Amino acid sequence: MSDLLVPLHVQYIQSLGKSQDELVYHLTAHLRMNAIYWGLTALCIMGHKDALDRQEMIDYVMSCWDEEAGSFGAHPDHDAHILSTLSAVQILIMQDALDRVDIDRVVKFILSLQQPSGVFAGDQFGEIDTRFLFCAVNALSLLGRLSKLDVEKTVGYIEQCRNFDGGFGSSIGAESHASQVFVCVGALAILDRLDVVDVPTLSWWLAERQLPNGGLNGRPEKLEDVCYSFWVLSSLSVLNKVHWIDADKLTSFIMSAQDPENGGIADRPGDMPDVFHTHFGVAGLSILGYPGLADLDPVYCMPADIIERMGLRKGWKNLERRTF
Amino acid sequence: MLCQQHGAKRVRLSKEAIEARKQKEQSKIRDYLALNDDILTRKRNKDYTKEAFNKTTQLLQLNPEFYTVWNYRRLILLHGIFPNSSPVEINEQLSDELSMTTVALKAHPKVYWIWNHRRWCLENVPNGPGDEGDSDYLGWKQDYWKKEMFVVEKMLDVDARNFHAWSYRRYVLASMTTPRNPKTELAYTKRKIEANFSNFSAWHQRSKVLTLLWSKGELDEHQSKEAEFELIKNAMFTVPEDQSAWIYHRWLVGEGHDKAILDREIDVIKMLLEEQPDSKWCLDSLVHYHLLLIRNHPSSVDVPALTQDCRTWLKELRTVDAARVRRYEEIEQELGV
Repeated sequence: MSDLLVPLHVQYIQSLGKSQDELVYHLTAHLRMNAIYWGLTALCIMGHKDALDRQEMIDYVMSCWDEEAGSFGAHPDHDAHILSTLSAVQILIMQDALDRVDIDRVVKFILSLQQPSGVFAGDQFGEIDTRFLFCAVNALSLLGRLSKLDVEKTVGYIEQCRNFDGGFGSSIGAESHASQVFVCVGALAILDRLDVVDVPTLSWWLAERQLPNGGLNGRPEKLEDVCYSFWVLSSLSVLNKVHWIDADKLTSFIMSAQDPENGGIADRPGDMPDVFHTHFGVAGLSILGYPGLADLDPVYCMPADIIERMGLRKGWKNLERRTF
Repeated sequence: MLCQQHGAKRVRLSKEAIEARKQKEQSKIRDYLALNDDILTRKRNKDYTKEAFNKTTQLLQLNPEFYTVWNYRRLILLHGIFPNSSPVEINEQLSDELSMTTVALKAHPKVYWIWNHRRWCLENVPNGPGDEGDSDYLGWKQDYWKKEMFVVEKMLDVDARNFHAWSYRRYVLASMTTPRNPKTELAYTKRKIEANFSNFSAWHQRSKVLTLLWSKGELDEHQSKEAEFELIKNAMFTVPEDQSAWIYHRWLVGEGHDKAILDREIDVIKMLLEEQPDSKWCLDSLVHYHLLLIRNHPSSVDVPALTQDCRTWLKELRTVDAARVRRYEEIEQELGV
């Protein structure tokens, strides 16, 4: 099995901020805030947090503040959205700079997105999704304002998204999908309401995401993809069942999706790497106890020591960290 | 260097080739950024003119994921265009919007923002063409929803597992001004399943429609379950390695309170196991259904014998499905001594 190419991945993440001479850099500005969160978290887990300039990053995050809406957009002059809001909060916490934020306004923005059904919209235009519900719960928890949330209503919506296979979908009636399982299980973990989960059925469904090549898929009879290494494993960690899949085979699969020349991890072997899959690949490896990595909190998807210090740690269980 | 790419093959380019591509891109980047800056400036200045609207069309064709520009476009419609339009004109405008998103969805079937804009358009269709009280008062809306079913079916013909399309389908079904008979939807899921037994999205949808029909009393639960067992048996015997059918089967059996059904289904699976002696799904399902027998009907079954069968199958499973060996070990431990 090849090793995790840490120096190359660090270099790859550093290079992302310097590619203004490529069109795709500009075409993906609407994902910039998320991309910085993915890059920074991966760096923290690999023990290279300082590879990106702290002050430059904080200044950038603050430049994405949307004064009219009272929260963060994905890029300067982009509209505030719950996706970029959570990423901004996570970045500022990892950089110990939360004091820069008008927390009251962010909390007001988040709470304004909750719908009568209990789910959250992404922004004022009302697209709803359990992803947004998770972002809201996660951000409120990180900001220390969960007490402002109508927990019953929120949990009630998640409960209605539970399917017969134990999984959860993006909205009521939607098919179970590993990433939606993560957001629902994560939100329930933060709210201490895991009683809503059908643990044996869901653990079974999650374990069946592993394919013969070691990779994980997101739904029955679909292709494997590195990002599910995180969505599936994080949920299994919360349910204390990570050992229900073959860790060695999954580790090999993630390794084989690395770009051995320029760094970065792709969705599957031979494909172009990107920061999203690099982050979720590294996150998955941390949950699997890969040697030399820092512990990842699977609920908040942030370095575990930070969440521990904030007193927010929940009862998840990753595999024990191996030594080289 | 996209942020989330799926399925794009890695190609090795020489330094010269990368340099040449970058050079070629420079003018495109300049044009894109000029348009980008122009639009965001107009947005800041609350420019809700037709000219600004056309600029957003141009940009969204280049980048359909630019959510801020979709937002701005809706603001222009709401504050600049609709207030000066008759209902007929608003209706025509929304019709153009839908055509635009149809083209965009064909190229980008998994972009949330496009699906989202489509919903917004439909929710803003005015009443008409008739006046209140006329039979065609909701005529425009009705026509759109009917057309949407056609659009979403085309999308599912291209990719039968696209979860955006399935979610949208449920949304359309729930929004139609004249609700469709759920039995039509049941027939649709059957067509999709028979075209491909691996289409779990269709099995899932089927479970939702059936639950609805049972709860409304429009289908007899027992009778319709029997028909489902027939359908699923066909799938299990055709593609025994496909998990879609097995997951659905587990839902049909449920908690296993009906011992006659449990016994019968166990016999069916045993028959399949004889044909496919190392079928992981046969073995795993047999263990699961035997545990239900032991749990729910302990006084009418031979518990030690069933337990012994489970041990035999679990041992087999540890060989044929080694990746999940720890799960099988834990189930065995729970069997007790």
